[in-house]
Amino acid sequence: MHHELIVLTKDYYMIKSMLLIFSSYFESTMYHNSSQKKFWTFDKEEALDKLRLEANQKFLSCAKAGINESMFLDQWEEKVLLRHYEKRLLDFCNIFKPAMPKSVVGTALMYFRRFYLNNSLMQHHPRIIMLTCAYLSCKVDEFNVSCTQFVGNLQESPAAQERALEQILEYELLLIQQLNFHLVVHNPYRPLEGFLIDLKTRYPLLENPEVLRKSAEDFLNRAAMTDAGLLFSPSLIALTAVLNGAARAGLKMEAYLTECMGLKGDKETLSKMYDSMRRITSLVKAYELPKIEEVNVGKQKLERIHAELATNLKRKHGYEDDEHVVKRQMVTEEEWTDEDLDEL
Amino acid sequence: MLFVRGSGNCVQCNTPLRKSNFRVQLFEDPAIDKEVEIRKKVLKIYNKRELDFPSLKGYNDYLEQVEEIVYNLTNNLDVEKTKQMMEQYQRENRDVIQRNKAKLTREQEELEELLLLEQQDFEQRRLQTLQDEQRQLQAKRKNKQALLDELESSQLPAALLLAQHKDRASQLETQIEKQKQNVKPTNIFSTGIMMGQTVSLAPVTRVEEVLYVYQPMHFDTYGPPIPELDQLGRLGYLNHVRTASLQDQAGGYTSGLACHRAVQDAFSGLFL
Repeated sequence: MHHELIVLTKDYYMIKSMLLIFSSYFESTMYHNSSQKKFWTFDKEEALDKLRLEANQKFLSCAKAGINESMFLDQWEEKVLLRHYEKRLLDFCNIFKPAMPKSVVGTALMYFRRFYLNNSLMQHHPRIIMLTCAYLSCKVDEFNVSCTQFVGNLQESPAAQERALEQILEYELLLIQQLNFHLVVHNPYRPLEGFLIDLKTRYPLLENPEVLRKSAEDFLNRAAMTDAGLLFSPSLIALTAVLNGAARAGLKMEAYLTECMGLKGDKETLSKMYDSMRRITSLVKAYELPKIEEVNVGKQKLERIHAELATNLKRKHGYEDDEHVVKRQMVTEEEWTDEDLDEL
Repeated sequence: MLFVRGSGNCVQCNTPLRKSNFRVQLFEDPAIDKEVEIRKKVLKIYNKRELDFPSLKGYNDYLEQVEEIVYNLTNNLDVEKTKQMMEQYQRENRDVIQRNKAKLTREQEELEELLLLEQQDFEQRRLQTLQDEQRQLQAKRKNKQALLDELESSQLPAALLLAQHKDRASQLETQIEKQKQNVKPTNIFSTGIMMGQTVSLAPVTRVEEVLYVYQPMHFDTYGPPIPELDQLGRLGYLNHVRTASLQDQAGGYTSGLACHRAVQDAFSGLFL
């Protein structure tokens, strides 16, 4: 059947709902046949660690001569720095004006995570990549922000904002390419809404499912800082959030799974689900902010490596007069650094 | 002033150059111009067509070969080897090359003839319309002149004369209209088939094929079954979603859509 709908108003939400209708007819935007499920969902944390190690080692083998071995970051130092910059990204999105919808934030974090699955921080500096991720996520999720508005959220001089914008635009295509052009990210926020609606409709044992919303949302925000999105489907993460909140409040929810989901007779699926939900919960619980000393040591190393790379590049291009080189250096000093982001 | 005589030596390296070997640069990038020239020369020799090949892959391989040759010559890689390869190919396929050259010239001539015909047609029609317009103008002028003359010389009252004049003017108009509608009889349909040709009335041969039967698409959602969109209201889901305002409904949005989507997302991939 083919619905023909005439859009009578310019309401943006209307157009989005048109897309909803057609997309659900063509089943192209659902998680179960998405690129996220096919290419960006892995079985175990070990697989993720392996990829990150490979990226780290690939950089080491391609590194230019002249950089001392000890100057490189190993994969644990990279992990520390990754967590630090993820938090930075989250903070940037949270103070963003106009207010960024949760799905945009989730998408940005996912892009960041996916990018550094196959690339090393030493190759591309995370402060640029994180802004590029946020920028791309706004575009993909149709959160309309002009580029000047975007960089206006950086606590910088207009000149530095301009330079940041240039860098973002430079890196945008690289980011898209490293995401393998898989730009649609399924976040657990809408599944959470779905579960709350379903609970209200079909699960009378729970008087007011709305009480679970706050803790579930909090759980999802914390889950976004872990690798959960790369290991489990978003619906499962949302369900874990709900059950977690219920357990905390001392509410019983087993019947929801056995009766409403029809899993009474299917012990295998049920135990698999509980297993996965346990893993998600432990991932979320295990998350902690990186220690400040480790971060600073890592950052120092990172800056040195990137500075070395930059000079190597200059040497390659072979400037004829020293004057030219001197001029270049003055420009790099003005570039915005992490400290400027500290203002956030 | 270098080539007054038609040939001379390069200023810097003293290599002998001929004026005829220079050409006007058509494209902005000189590399493109160079490539275009080389391509023209290569394609004069490598002029096989798709129907000369038994398979599509064979034709594509041939094209790839040609591109490699052009690339090598443009970027001065393996020039000697490439030139040798070209000469060898030319020797081997001399007759094929000649045949294709002949075909090309024939096709070009046919095209030119068609173009000429079209142009002539167009010219004729233009002249025709010009003449028609002239005639009409003249007729109108005559009519006016006749009116003036009659007003001068006739005995009838002026009002009657004006009425007669108007009558004649309208008659002229209808005549002009009729002429415009008089389409030139053609003898050829736009598809090229001649009119009046007898069409074969034999029955069309029947082609038997497997009838298409509609199979509804089935997707595995790896999760519990999702209620249908039209059942949501009955099942009570819609009580827990924001009701659509009048403005939303005008555009075709219903609260069931958002509800269905949310529940779908919640159930999709749950059992993975």
